[in-house]
Amino acid sequence: MPPRLPARSWRQPPLRPFLSPSSQSTTALLRPLLPLTTTRGVKYGWSTLPKRAKPTRFNQVTAGIPAPSTGPAAALKRRERTTPIRTGVLAIKKGMTAFMGKSGARIPCTVLQLDRVQVVANKTRDRNGYWAVQVGLGERAADNVGAPMLGYFEAKGLSPKKKLAEFKVRSKDGLLPVGVQLLPDWFHVGQCVDVRGHARGMGFAGGMKRHGFSGQEASHGNSKNHRTIGTVGPSQGGGSRVYPGKKMPGRMGGQRVTMQNLPVLMVDNELGIVVVKGCVAGPKNSVVMVQDAVKKPPPPAEFVGMTRQVLDERFPDAFEALEAARERHLELKKWRKDKRIEMLLSGENVAESHEVVL
Amino acid sequence: MNVAPLSGRPLACLKTSVRRARQQKAFLCRSMATGSQGRASPSSLPDYNFYQLKDQKTKKLRSAFAVYTPPTVKTNPTTITIVNKPPKPAKRTPEPKLPGLIAPPSDPLPILHASQIARMDPTGARTALFAKTKQGVRVGDVLMVTHRRGGEPFAGVCISIRRAGIDTAILLRNHLSKVGVEMWFKVYNKNVAGIEIIKRARRRARRARLTYLRKPKHDVGSVSDLVFAWKKTRKVFNTKSSPASSKTAKGAKAAKKK
Repeated sequence: MPPRLPARSWRQPPLRPFLSPSSQSTTALLRPLLPLTTTRGVKYGWSTLPKRAKPTRFNQVTAGIPAPSTGPAAALKRRERTTPIRTGVLAIKKGMTAFMGKSGARIPCTVLQLDRVQVVANKTRDRNGYWAVQVGLGERAADNVGAPMLGYFEAKGLSPKKKLAEFKVRSKDGLLPVGVQLLPDWFHVGQCVDVRGHARGMGFAGGMKRHGFSGQEASHGNSKNHRTIGTVGPSQGGGSRVYPGKKMPGRMGGQRVTMQNLPVLMVDNELGIVVVKGCVAGPKNSVVMVQDAVKKPPPPAEFVGMTRQVLDERFPDAFEALEAARERHLELKKWRKDKRIEMLLSGENVAESHEVVL
Repeated sequence: MNVAPLSGRPLACLKTSVRRARQQKAFLCRSMATGSQGRASPSSLPDYNFYQLKDQKTKKLRSAFAVYTPPTVKTNPTTITIVNKPPKPAKRTPEPKLPGLIAPPSDPLPILHASQIARMDPTGARTALFAKTKQGVRVGDVLMVTHRRGGEPFAGVCISIRRAGIDTAILLRNHLSKVGVEMWFKVYNKNVAGIEIIKRARRRARRARLTYLRKPKHDVGSVSDLVFAWKKTRKVFNTKSSPASSKTAKGAKAAKKK
């Protein structure tokens, strides 16, 4: 074994011996312990250019360069036109029926019910990168909810919801106070909505069922190929290959389907229903999302203003309730963290400990 | 403590001490269930109960969360108002503050159907005609439907009655020029001007839908001779007779004629 070098030989000579003693005391002593890395900067040569400290400065608006066409701001701007100005609601598909007109018209329609639909949270551009309203539907028993979500609803002051969904809105004007209930009069008769639902799963389906292929003939020498899809592409002229995206047998259904521009035929707060024309994907009692139609002009501004006003009148102290619930949540969170929640429940020293927490 | 009336009422001092004891009772005898109830909380904070998470093995309390129980108002709609136009914001009265969450009825379709039927069939004649009573139509009866859009009234054996509230429909089968023809009619549609019972089935059919009538063995064939006989009894061939004076089924009398 070769002889080891003494420890003092690892020490390096001080690099800057003429520094003031105060800075020397901290940095110079630590320096031999730190690994040797080259520090950033130009150590040789010279330049008259200002320092290139911030490379992003080239992309500033003042630099005369057009705004970037990618990135979060550009994405929001791009989607501005196709984002509804106000939130949608969650609803339960209750079934289909018909709407009989006085003149003999019969319109097939779907009944959607809004069961205790509440605003649960708001997503903002600063915190989340986009504007959206989180909406909850129905009610869920507390023993069907996990601890994280129990804490989430505790902080909102709401009972646990059966289903949550986010609806993107165009700007912060579309955000709503947390805790308010959205009733069917959020929509008006005659407006158009987009309804999203999950289609029933059909399993593995052939080409005739899945894509409406016409199948093959029953006779004329056809043998055991009556429902097969036949050829899947051209021969040598087309490259002797199957083009990407070729419609083939496979899993059918079980995916989200959006029905666009369904006119609203009826809204009723007592029944809690919105009746839309036509059909909606999914079985009965499935949850669907209803929002203002993207491809139609938004509801008139006075109607939108009125719905906001109605919410404020119906739930004037939503903000105070949310603040109180948040405070209570923070208190309880501390109790849980300190493992003293049992004490709180059994009522030991409640008054004393309560003050300590506050 | 008020000591002045001690001489007059010696037991009066008990009152204040009892009152204090009553106040303290809320703090002293708090069980786990009422742990959250009596605590001073801001008035804006909704009511809540604690949901306790317990360890699965040791059954000891692991954590607890406040689960809010907002007051729920159950609606009891008897009649519903159908809004045909968007509300006008200018002439609006302010909405009242809601006492809690509005919980709609879990099955709105029957109520919706009832209101629609009341609108489309105010006399109740069509409902009575297809009610599940002795007087009501049953499959196997021969019916005649008069359509508002002109044309010959369609008569045929009622093969099935699809009961679906406002969307209730009947399927009639007949032979026109020796070809079997079937027609669906929506009972509550305004285009259906009238439904008459031409002939009742001799006995109750033991099927809900008489699809076997499509087989040649069971096919009734044309019902034109039945219609002819029925018209004869109603004296519709007399030019001056009014249809209201005729004796037909109870429900069919009230059914509207154009």
